[in-house]
Amino acid sequence: MRFGRSLYVIVTSIVACSMFTGTLAKAQNSGTEEGWCLAGYAQRMPVALVCFVVVAMGVILLGWYWLRLARAITSIARLIKDGKANAIGNGKGFFASLRMANIDELCEAFDKHFDDCSVRIAEYEKQIKDLQIQIQLSLRREKNAEAIIYSIRDAVIVFDEYDRLLMANEAAGRLFKFDFSNSQHTPLTELLGADHREFAGFISHCRKSKGQATRREIELLEDGDSKTFDCIVSCVYDQSRQVCGVVVVLHDITRERQIQQMKNDFVSHVSHELKTPLASITAYSEMLVDGETNDEKTRKEFYSVIQNQANRLSRLIEDILNTSRIESGLIKVNKEPVSLTMLIKEQLQMIKGCAEEKNVEIVGQKPIVFDQVYVDRDMMSQVIINLLSNAVKYTRSGGTVKISTEVDEVASLVRVIVTDTGVGIPEDEVERVFDKFYRVGANKKQAKGTGLGLNLVKQMVESVHDGRVFVTSKVGVGSTFGFELPLATRQTVGTV
Amino acid sequence: MADKRVLIVDDEIHIIHVVAIKLRNNGYEVISADNGAEAFDLAMRDKPNIIVTDFQMPVMTGLELVEKLRQHEETKDIPVIMLTARSFAISQEQQDELRISGCLSKPFSPKELLGNIEDILYEKELVTDN
Repeated sequence: MRFGRSLYVIVTSIVACSMFTGTLAKAQNSGTEEGWCLAGYAQRMPVALVCFVVVAMGVILLGWYWLRLARAITSIARLIKDGKANAIGNGKGFFASLRMANIDELCEAFDKHFDDCSVRIAEYEKQIKDLQIQIQLSLRREKNAEAIIYSIRDAVIVFDEYDRLLMANEAAGRLFKFDFSNSQHTPLTELLGADHREFAGFISHCRKSKGQATRREIELLEDGDSKTFDCIVSCVYDQSRQVCGVVVVLHDITRERQIQQMKNDFVSHVSHELKTPLASITAYSEMLVDGETNDEKTRKEFYSVIQNQANRLSRLIEDILNTSRIESGLIKVNKEPVSLTMLIKEQLQMIKGCAEEKNVEIVGQKPIVFDQVYVDRDMMSQVIINLLSNAVKYTRSGGTVKISTEVDEVASLVRVIVTDTGVGIPEDEVERVFDKFYRVGANKKQAKGTGLGLNLVKQMVESVHDGRVFVTSKVGVGSTFGFELPLATRQTVGTV
Repeated sequence: MADKRVLIVDDEIHIIHVVAIKLRNNGYEVISADNGAEAFDLAMRDKPNIIVTDFQMPVMTGLELVEKLRQHEETKDIPVIMLTARSFAISQEQQDELRISGCLSKPFSPKELLGNIEDILYEKELVTDN
């Protein structure tokens, strides 16, 4: 502003002087009274001198201003050189530095500055390209991470540092009943719902504690079924080691827990079953040792009990081992063509004494032309004897046990059926009679048993021989147990 | 000691048999049942001085039997000894809550059982006398 005003003053002075000298000359020529007065004044000042002074002052001022302008340009050039072009915007800095000597310096400076700018722009463009590549890589990595998380069968949920949903897979959506595409950034408590408030609090607590991964077992409902999940909550850290979220992984361990429970039950059952005869053996032995039996008859009775309980224990251990061997696939199976009719005949001989003792009639079957099966003879003998002895045990005196075979040529299988007129099994317990250690509650008083016999039958028929067991029963009427096996083919018979 | 009546409850007839002989040889009167429901009826009717019961039985388990005994005025103070083939089947809290006087793990010694019965009845006598 000051520069412009000075320039205006100079120009105005020059113009005023010019006008004054011009008017003076004009007044001399016109001869008016006013002009005369001015002329008189002018006569006292030499016109040429005034003009010279005015012109000289103008030239000096112009030179002085040119000098300042040149210095200013030099300063700008220096500022640009120094990379401080922004200082031009500062009025004081600008006018204080009006010390330009040569305009070429300015052009040179600007050229250099533009060159620098071009280099920088090229660098920036390269950086932008690098960043674009990195963004694409990041996007690809993000998609890969999403694909991995989506392919995991476990439920995976990621929350940010404000407990809002960042990422979740389908398993998580199914478990907590939300659709990820519509639920992004939904707060944790809202996402999991009121039913899982305690679980939401646990996740939030894990994030706030900033600790290592935290593990907990939780029970959740999935499709109406109660399931057990192994839940691991891990904090996610950024580069400055600040927690920026949490990853929640829920692994379904329902099956493992069920297996664990079954193992525990098995051990518990085995322990109970082994200890029961052992308790009798221990107690009776102690009584004998302590001389608590006064007569020979009682002593014999005690010896008999000990022997029977020892046999019971031995059978039990054998059954447990067989069950275990079959389940683990370690049992040795020697399959050969066997006539079921012949096998049944042998087993009937074995059960005959026991049936007669109980006054239970055993009805055999008529021979069948071709009922050969390709089986392990010992195992099939045990299957038949288990079914027969079970039938005899639960049939009251005067009752009947019948065994028969049927050949289904269309289906190419043979069926063995054992029917008794025993106590029968309540309808709600029929399905469980083949379960390990299961004994029908109402029938426990009827006969002793371990609950392993029918389980062994099922294992031997179904797991070892690809057959099928079946049962029907009616309380007070009797039961029908049986199994079916594939008939031996001509090839298998011919190989022997 | 002849007036002391013991109720033995077990679904294993051999256990009842051997314990009964041991107790009778030592002057006790023995009554027996093979399940909890039958044992409860006997306890209400015969008022035994002590009950020895198995833990796992059909119809009504040993624990259910004790719970039922504790709910009735006539049977609520009868001492109970529990026989169990399963370790840790009964927690100490359950024992305290149901006032189970003792637990014996199968296989058990009839001598040890007799000793427990005598101790419990003696302790009960002292409390009653005071």
